Amino acid sequence: MNLIDLPANVPWLSLIWLSLVIPTLIIALMKPEQKEEIRIVGTVFSFISLALTLLVYLAYDYRSPEKFQFLEEIPWLPELGINYILGVDGISLPMLLLNGIVIFTGALISWNIEDRAREYWALLLLLAAGVYGVFVSLDLFLLFIFYELAVLPMYLLIGIWGSTRKEYGAMKLTLYLMGGSAFIILGMVAMYFSGMLRTFDMRLLAQSALFSRDVQIVFFVPLFLGFGVLAGMFPFHTWSPTGHVAAPTAVSMLHAGVLMKLGAYGCLRVAMWIFPEGANYWLLPIAIATLINAVYGATIAMMQRDFKFMIGYSSVSHMGLTLMGLAAANTIGLTGAVLQMFAHGVMTALFFAVVGRMVYDRTHTRQFPELGGLFSVMPFAAIVFIIAGLSSMGMPGLAGFWAEFNIFMGMWQRFPLIAVLAGVSIPITAGYILMAAYRVFFGEMKNPEFRHLPKITVQEYVAGVILVAVLIISGIYPAYLTEPIEASVQPIAEALARAGTLGVRYP
Amino acid sequence: MSFQITDIPRILPELMLLLLGLMVLGSDVLTRWGRGPQAQLERAREAGQLTAIGLGLIFIVGLVQSRFLFTVPDPSGGPLDVLLTLGRNLQAGGPGGSPILGAFATDEFTMVARLTFIGAAFLTTLLAMGYRLTANPGEFYGLLIFSTLGMSIMAAATEFILAYLALELSSISLYVLAGYFRESERSPEAGLKYFLFGSLSSAIFLYGISLVYGFVASENQKAGGTPIVATLFSEVGRFATGDAASSPLLILGMLFVIAGLGYKISVVPFHTWAPDVYQGAPPPVTAFLSTASKAAGFLLLYRLLTTAFPGAVGTPRLEEFSGWTSVLAILALVTVIVGNLAALPQTNARRLLAYSSIGHAGFLLLAALIWSSTSPADRAFGTAALIYYLIVYTLTNLGSFGVLAVLTNALGSDDLGAMQGLWQRNMVLTLMMTILILSLAGIPPLAGFWAKFFVFMAGYQAGAVPLVTIAVIMTVVSLYYYLRFLKAMWILPAPETTPFKTPPVANAAIIVSTVLVVLLGLLPNLIWGTISTAASVAAR
Repeated sequence: MNLIDLPANVPWLSLIWLSLVIPTLIIALMKPEQKEEIRIVGTVFSFISLALTLLVYLAYDYRSPEKFQFLEEIPWLPELGINYILGVDGISLPMLLLNGIVIFTGALISWNIEDRAREYWALLLLLAAGVYGVFVSLDLFLLFIFYELAVLPMYLLIGIWGSTRKEYGAMKLTLYLMGGSAFIILGMVAMYFSGMLRTFDMRLLAQSALFSRDVQIVFFVPLFLGFGVLAGMFPFHTWSPTGHVAAPTAVSMLHAGVLMKLGAYGCLRVAMWIFPEGANYWLLPIAIATLINAVYGATIAMMQRDFKFMIGYSSVSHMGLTLMGLAAANTIGLTGAVLQMFAHGVMTALFFAVVGRMVYDRTHTRQFPELGGLFSVMPFAAIVFIIAGLSSMGMPGLAGFWAEFNIFMGMWQRFPLIAVLAGVSIPITAGYILMAAYRVFFGEMKNPEFRHLPKITVQEYVAGVILVAVLIISGIYPAYLTEPIEASVQPIAEALARAGTLGVRYP
Repeated sequence: MSFQITDIPRILPELMLLLLGLMVLGSDVLTRWGRGPQAQLERAREAGQLTAIGLGLIFIVGLVQSRFLFTVPDPSGGPLDVLLTLGRNLQAGGPGGSPILGAFATDEFTMVARLTFIGAAFLTTLLAMGYRLTANPGEFYGLLIFSTLGMSIMAAATEFILAYLALELSSISLYVLAGYFRESERSPEAGLKYFLFGSLSSAIFLYGISLVYGFVASENQKAGGTPIVATLFSEVGRFATGDAASSPLLILGMLFVIAGLGYKISVVPFHTWAPDVYQGAPPPVTAFLSTASKAAGFLLLYRLLTTAFPGAVGTPRLEEFSGWTSVLAILALVTVIVGNLAALPQTNARRLLAYSSIGHAGFLLLAALIWSSTSPADRAFGTAALIYYLIVYTLTNLGSFGVLAVLTNALGSDDLGAMQGLWQRNMVLTLMMTILILSLAGIPPLAGFWAKFFVFMAGYQAGAVPLVTIAVIMTVVSLYYYLRFLKAMWILPAPETTPFKTPPVANAAIIVSTVLVVLLGLLPNLIWGTISTAASVAAR
């Protein structure tokens, strides 16, 4: 069912990612002193990209038997089966929308960057363009190229505009993520040669019985781990809190909000879709790792004294839940996983906006003992933080509830024990969120200077309102997300289930 | 097979290089130059311009001759007939044929290699023109051209003696060039070190040849054949099959040949000269040395091994050691590990890039391993991967060493520390260096990424999966030191913020290489088709 019809002869998906490459080039050609103009160009174009993703979202027909729509195919290096193939389905669409929302709000949040604003905006938009590219690519090679494009600008963004041990954080993050992509390269090469098709077109690669069971079992590991590193999978998660804390606010928003989803998306779209038997073989170890992720991440978050570190570890915990949905490997679990990617993306963007921009940029401290009583100074920040927090605890009526509900249901069907154990993370999450809210916004004001903090700017209001609105709308009417997601994860879940029942060795 | 007059157009670019070298030397000697600094500058500029124009012309001749871009149509009575006739005559000497009694192959492989070397020499000339040259510019540019000539013959040679002569021609010129800055501390040391290492290696190479020669002669005698030219690669290949391929004499000769060429391509353990020489030689020479010279070594080694020793190809799987692919696999393994790890603690940018280029030699060897497969398509793919990597590597390293040359000229130092805060001082140069470094690190969508991906594919297809895994891991290690460049240029505070200008000629060279790196990254099929043709010819 689609709400609007778009003309078919326009390359919508290319437009989406180009809508952020073009401003990158424009900004690169502007003068460094034109900060105001640079901000306007960046924000306007990120809004255009959001509008384009919305159009595509509304025009996508999830009831159609054609899962992939808005296809674009251009030969690139056809001799080696490498082509420029774009298309979206119900899994990539929510991700596109998420990226649109986060880059637009991130752009609004970035208006206070004064130092080297031109380079900042160019890199920020380039990063988001890479993210769009990953979500629209159907050719594995193309996907990988966009993936690296999304990872690398991070090094400079954190290294130049970051705080707290920024050079260390930037280097650690980049090396971890590039280590992940090294695994992916290995898996890609193996995939290319062991399927007889000699192509990187994922639609062809995902045909069943293309790969022998042994190949699937062996090479599922580098692919899943490679993407898993970016998703913050235990034990490769340590880059993520360090990186998030060191990064400037908008970059943390994009990074925790969208970039980590690239990892989970890759796990699902590449590793699990193409190697269902391999996935089926490794489900239990993955489920255990994600259990540790969720519970351990939440526990560590509870122990933090630094507000941003707490949010960083909460991301690890929530991404653990996302991966747990993947490990459930059934329709309901996968739906929950994709929904969690969306819900957590919006929610964590809001968290970082509050922590990094509204609180830290004004108070210049993130230590809980030094903060307190900020509700009277910035009630808006307190309210949006609490709404995001409620969503992350899984409060009904907000987006996070549906996501976590589906994930636990899915996991219950697959490994009931793990679902029960993972349930521990929910009260812990509630604990640290409430504690943080109390320590920062309520309680007594430790520092009297906080009374004279600058007011929340218009851009911050707009960004906060958009993010909260998305959380609430998705909480009240989740069907706009779940129906396309469910329609698209169903074939994957079926392939996984088939692989489970088959159990025989292919010749 | 005998010498024919039609052979001359086939080796026209080489003949033109020879002539150009003599012209550059002669015009420098025959002009009466003043002694003042102004006259010196004038003299250097004139030699540089003559070289650049000449090399550009030869590049165009080579390009037309190769028919890569277009085939000249028949003259049709129009005003351009003279040009068309000229073009047709030139293309009559196009790909194919083996002039000079079969010692020289003018196939597509040679054409691609020739264009690469001449192009690299052209860019090096531009870099050198932007650099202060102290004395005898005629000698400098003349030697550069002779070295290019030697490389171009190296890639084309199909006979041991010619290959040896070409190797010496290119190397001896480079020894002198490396020691060209007589007043500096490091340059003569670099020259001497390079010379000692090079001459020892060429002795080993020569000894290997003599063993192979002995093998062919004795096999021929055993078979009771008529006397033959026992130094042609193909003649060796004809005898080195079956049981004879495992003859100790042949294997020993082969090992010596690989060891002798190993210094030219600076693979571990024949690499120890490289960091000192790269750091000490005049910067434009380093750019040339690390790119064209290495590429020539690779192409010669590749042609030699594949035509002279196809019977001893063996397998690159490390658990069953046999043949030259095993030797190359071990060299590749050691080279990627040592090159990349040794680069980590370096603080001098040129020394760091020297180690990185040793690491790159290891990646390049991966492409050659696929020769162990018997499928021609696989072999052609491996060859194409090798050529693609060499071209991209040549462009990228020329550009990045070019940037370092500019920096040495402007800042007086090429330490990483001197590059701090470069973005404040020269934004364009910083941007280009960033692109080049990222391409070296293999970050998409730049050309270096495709190159690495292709060699990994080739290595995987050859069955060397553990080796490819280690190589892939080493790319992550290499990223650490490449990011140090980015950190120095973009993140760390500048000790000084006065802007400086890039000399326009050097800038042109760096821009050309950067643009090509980006272009070949976005559209790899621009040259992939040509390279595939060349590769399938070489793999036949």
